[in-house]
Amino acid sequence: MPSFQLHSPSDLAELTRLLLETEGTVLAGGTDLLPRVRRGRLCPAHLVDAGRLRELRFVRREGPEVVLGALSTHADLSSSPLVRELAPALSEACASVGCPQTRNRGTLGGNIANASPAADGLPPLLVLEATAELRGPGGARAVTLPELLLGPGRTSLRPAEIIERVRFPAPPAPSGQAFQKLGRRNGMAIAVASVAALLVLDERGRIRTARLALGSLAPTARRSPAAEEALRGAEPGEAAFRRAAAAAQADAEPIDDLRASAAHRRRVLEVLVRRALERSLDRAARGRRP
Amino acid sequence: MTVSFAVNGREVQIACDPGRTLLEVLREDLSLTGAKDGCGGEGECGACTVLLDGEPVNACLVLVGQVEGRRVETIEGLAPPGGELHPIQRAFVEAGAVQCGYCTPGAVLAARALLSREPDPSEEQIREALAGNLCRCTGYAKMVDAVRRAARELGREA
Repeated sequence: MPSFQLHSPSDLAELTRLLLETEGTVLAGGTDLLPRVRRGRLCPAHLVDAGRLRELRFVRREGPEVVLGALSTHADLSSSPLVRELAPALSEACASVGCPQTRNRGTLGGNIANASPAADGLPPLLVLEATAELRGPGGARAVTLPELLLGPGRTSLRPAEIIERVRFPAPPAPSGQAFQKLGRRNGMAIAVASVAALLVLDERGRIRTARLALGSLAPTARRSPAAEEALRGAEPGEAAFRRAAAAAQADAEPIDDLRASAAHRRRVLEVLVRRALERSLDRAARGRRP
Repeated sequence: MTVSFAVNGREVQIACDPGRTLLEVLREDLSLTGAKDGCGGEGECGACTVLLDGEPVNACLVLVGQVEGRRVETIEGLAPPGGELHPIQRAFVEAGAVQCGYCTPGAVLAARALLSREPDPSEEQIREALAGNLCRCTGYAKMVDAVRRAARELGREA
């Protein structure tokens, strides 16, 4: 491993100070960062480990909102009863990350800050309309995920700024949500394409609100306004879901890479959108919250 | 700099660069060579799996400075030297789930973490628990069989 200096601050103020002073890179779970350092794609002189900030590892409800500490691991989130109940799409996405070893180390904050177009956690957070609460030398601020995610591996995080928490409103009842992902295999797979959906029904059972987000289908994970528009006010079911799947194509900009061709991704997109919507409807109809 | 942590129930203090990987320190400084480097430190193969506070992690992606004050268990901690094999190890031998042996320590520890959380796992749970442990010769069917055997054996003991 190329050499760097590791710093291990014990509180947030020290973490911020070290990041500022050393112009270092923040280290959370290390499941993505350390392989990049080893391959020489990243040559930080200083790594600042956030791992001792236990106060950033929590899952809790605050009134109408769910708040997740940035150092919550994928394993924490996939096994949390609160996340399973109120954000099942996120729970499913976290359960689909890598393997147990990766999920025990990899964190929510790292998944967001890496800004991989294929990050499993991002489509669910987009449909939940999550806000990232940041902290840096200039103090705290909150940004939406679309404001944070600028491109592959690029975020609007400022120097020495970190993600502290993620917050989203608990979806209203009756609603349902789901995450669907296609990888090259079941275990240890990075997404070829992924889709998260959230449906809120009105009292007549029609779609009041639809949110749909795409992963590995554009330079960043992103919502599909075209698909959401196609669903709004519609009778939920196969016809509407097919229209939404076709409409989602307008918001996808897939590329050819080592995992799949753009054409294959476009084909898969339709299937994943339909499945995510069917599953969301199923959950909404069962009256399960959400 | 000194890093202190527990390995297999014993407190150790190591004077070293905290930016070295846990895998390297276990193998080079503590002569615990059960954890292997199979993929060049990419976290892809699981051959370096150890338990950190009871949970399986890839030791190649943990820096030793990150385990300060924590509890590490390696395959060497499962059975006393020269003593009897742990029931999970015995089940791997009996089920023929060991060929070249390179992935075995990691797979056994992944199984241990599963069985301590879920004493009677389904096949799906077993496969999921082993999903991060690549094997290129024995194959997974016998490993799944071994974990089932170990679950039965440990259930009898309990």
